Amino acid sequence: MVLKTIRSATDKWAHKDGDYAFMFEPYTGDEIIALDCEMTDLDPQKAELVSIAAVKIKGTQVLTSEKLDIKLQKPESLTGDSIKVHRIRGVDLRGGEVLPDALEQLLHFIGNRPIMGYYIDYDITVLNRFIRPRFGFSLPNKTIELSQSYEAKVKRANPELQPDLHFEKIAEKLGVPMVGQRHSALGDAITTALMYVRLLKGPVPV
Amino acid sequence: MSNEFDLSHPPFDLLSTEEQEKLVSRLDIGYFGKDEIVIDAGQVSESVFVVLKGAVVELDLTKESEPDGGVIREYAHDDLFGAISIINGSSRYTFKTVEGTIAWLLPKEIFLGLMHSNEPFAAYFQNTLAEKARLLERRRSEKLGNGDMSSFMMAKVADSVLREAVILQSGTTILEATRTMREQHSDCLLVHKNSQYGMVTRTDLLEGVVLQDMGLESDICDLASYDLLTVQADDFLFNALVLMTRHKIQRVVVFDHNKLAGLVELTDVLSFFSSQSHVIGLQIERAGNLEELARAAKGTTELINGLVAQGVKIRFAMDLLAALNGRIIAKAYEQLVPEEIRKKTCLLVMGSEGRGEQVLKTDQDNALIIADDLDWQECSQVMDKFTNTLLDFGYPLCPGNIMVSNPEWVMKESEWRKTLSQWSSSVEGTGLMNLAIFVDAHAVAGDARLFSRLRDTLFHSLEGNEVFYSYFAMPLRRFSTPLTFFGGLKNSDGMDIKKGGIFPIVHGIRTMALQFKIKETNTFQRIDALVEKRVMKRKFADDLAEALVVLSSLRLQQQLKVEIGQAPPGESNMVSAVSLNKLDRDLLREALHMVKEFKSRMSHRYHLEG
Repeated sequence: MVLKTIRSATDKWAHKDGDYAFMFEPYTGDEIIALDCEMTDLDPQKAELVSIAAVKIKGTQVLTSEKLDIKLQKPESLTGDSIKVHRIRGVDLRGGEVLPDALEQLLHFIGNRPIMGYYIDYDITVLNRFIRPRFGFSLPNKTIELSQSYEAKVKRANPELQPDLHFEKIAEKLGVPMVGQRHSALGDAITTALMYVRLLKGPVPV
Repeated sequence: MSNEFDLSHPPFDLLSTEEQEKLVSRLDIGYFGKDEIVIDAGQVSESVFVVLKGAVVELDLTKESEPDGGVIREYAHDDLFGAISIINGSSRYTFKTVEGTIAWLLPKEIFLGLMHSNEPFAAYFQNTLAEKARLLERRRSEKLGNGDMSSFMMAKVADSVLREAVILQSGTTILEATRTMREQHSDCLLVHKNSQYGMVTRTDLLEGVVLQDMGLESDICDLASYDLLTVQADDFLFNALVLMTRHKIQRVVVFDHNKLAGLVELTDVLSFFSSQSHVIGLQIERAGNLEELARAAKGTTELINGLVAQGVKIRFAMDLLAALNGRIIAKAYEQLVPEEIRKKTCLLVMGSEGRGEQVLKTDQDNALIIADDLDWQECSQVMDKFTNTLLDFGYPLCPGNIMVSNPEWVMKESEWRKTLSQWSSSVEGTGLMNLAIFVDAHAVAGDARLFSRLRDTLFHSLEGNEVFYSYFAMPLRRFSTPLTFFGGLKNSDGMDIKKGGIFPIVHGIRTMALQFKIKETNTFQRIDALVEKRVMKRKFADDLAEALVVLSSLRLQQQLKVEIGQAPPGESNMVSAVSLNKLDRDLLREALHMVKEFKSRMSHRYHLEG
């Protein structure tokens, strides 16, 4: 955290007159971004981006009408293994966006809003690996970890409990249906967003 | 793709692909906690809501203290609400969640844009229940793509079983004509003579040669019959069948305006209309003894099941079964009761049988009126036998013992007169219940005048007796529509659709029929008669009739499930919204809403409040 703060401060100073200065403004609105990326590898240092999806949350509404759903051109590392994880084949990605364009769209979509997701640090780490070399900064946004918010809520009800933090389990406990195709970035982003607004609506069943 | 916005149901399937894409791209999703108010009464809604998960009730908060808690309608998965609030400018009622609910939000301006650009879509929201049911029915049959009743009844002569006519010129010989018939696999041909057509059948040819001694070289013109019955190509096939039945003929000639279009043969029409109904009708008429009649009677259940399985409209199935059952019962009576007795008695069927509204065989509900001057010693003996005969035919005994084997329901005319007056002056349950049963009576055999005299006396004796109608209508208050009815709710075991839906309509209409001296016993006919007497508005009447159709169909589906063991025997009237598809649920919701509306009108009319 400390490292991130220092890095952000440096980035902010470096970009104070740049095109992306808006990324470093303190956020005052009431929107949150739910983000999910599909990648080729579970190791954030090796993973390539396959698709990026983000959807805005405003209050207890998930603004699916304002969404970002980007499929990227086939990365070199798309192998048989990751096809099994995401059921995305090379052919699905043909005609997708090129990475720099995609990242630019993403930055403008997110702005300085907080970013929420399931194991969001992993997504952010991978994104930064591609953002930093091109734009000269890392995502400075505040992040909210869904699994942590959920765990905190469960422990508030019963401190003894260690909740099951699997994605499907949390969704099931919260009574949130899987929207769209599981393991599609957009579907997971929407489902995550719904789980988040559900957590805002009072106690969770334990 | 689970939980995508479903565009395959009305009204969204009425949109063009472009409109659908636009709609989907503008959808948001909202989350609502338990007991959260989604739209407040008087508020303008900013979105149309489509439930993705959870349950919402529409409440009249001014009636919260009533037994049903003021619930107007309920919404579950895939159900839409809020549209009417947008159309009307503000919401009349309050929409509140019953459990945590996720809903798609369609922005108001997009919805209004679609209303503006797409007429069928707009009509869907402005339609009455009757119109909506027709629309849904049509969409459903399009989807199923099979012989649904509307297509069955709506089949036009030209698009169904029209055969090309074999036409020969006058001067053709019998020999040539016979050869042509054989080549064309035809049983009949038309002969053109001086701009006129005549018909020659194989029978005509045979009889001409054999019985009239005509030579094989004779002109077929002399054999033909020229008084042909015709229908127009765009006429309903059903009318062709009626024409053939009425004139006892096998074929009609079809014209397209004034041009010959072909022929329609009875055998083709019957196979098109599931020939069984005709076959059973014939069996009944030809039955010379009880055994033959029993065989015919046993075929009726199967016939109706078959028709309903094919998607035949329930009102048609009811009418047909009522006609067949009426004939069977009358025939059985003729077999058991000598003619001189029949002339001085009148056999009544009552209850749902009397109304012609049963679909599966219902219990025997019958009674006998005996002329005052008839002394009939064997009466009780014969009536016992009659009841047992019907039992053999497959009509279960009446659990309330309302049958001719019970002497209480077999009386002389003057005794009936006395009893009816006792029943109608009683304020307690049994008398009024018996009276309600009698009001649905319908004479099936014997001298119907015995019955019409009694009925007319009853009508007149009750004239202007407001207190009586109030008591008579009172059972309407007894049942209400349960609250936790729709899917997704706890304890949603279903509702008794007979008590909560069918009974209120039938009994309310029965009360009004009694008050306005309407002789019809069928609820649909009674509703029509009430409209004619200007007691009820046509639009309301159509919706009410449609509600009864919807409820009866759902009940029948459930009864058939019980018959084949898919549901427990005690649950033949239980309908659970969980097991219904989206279309049925939409219709059921609207139908129950109509029932409520009707009940509240009845409460007002007959002072049932309090």
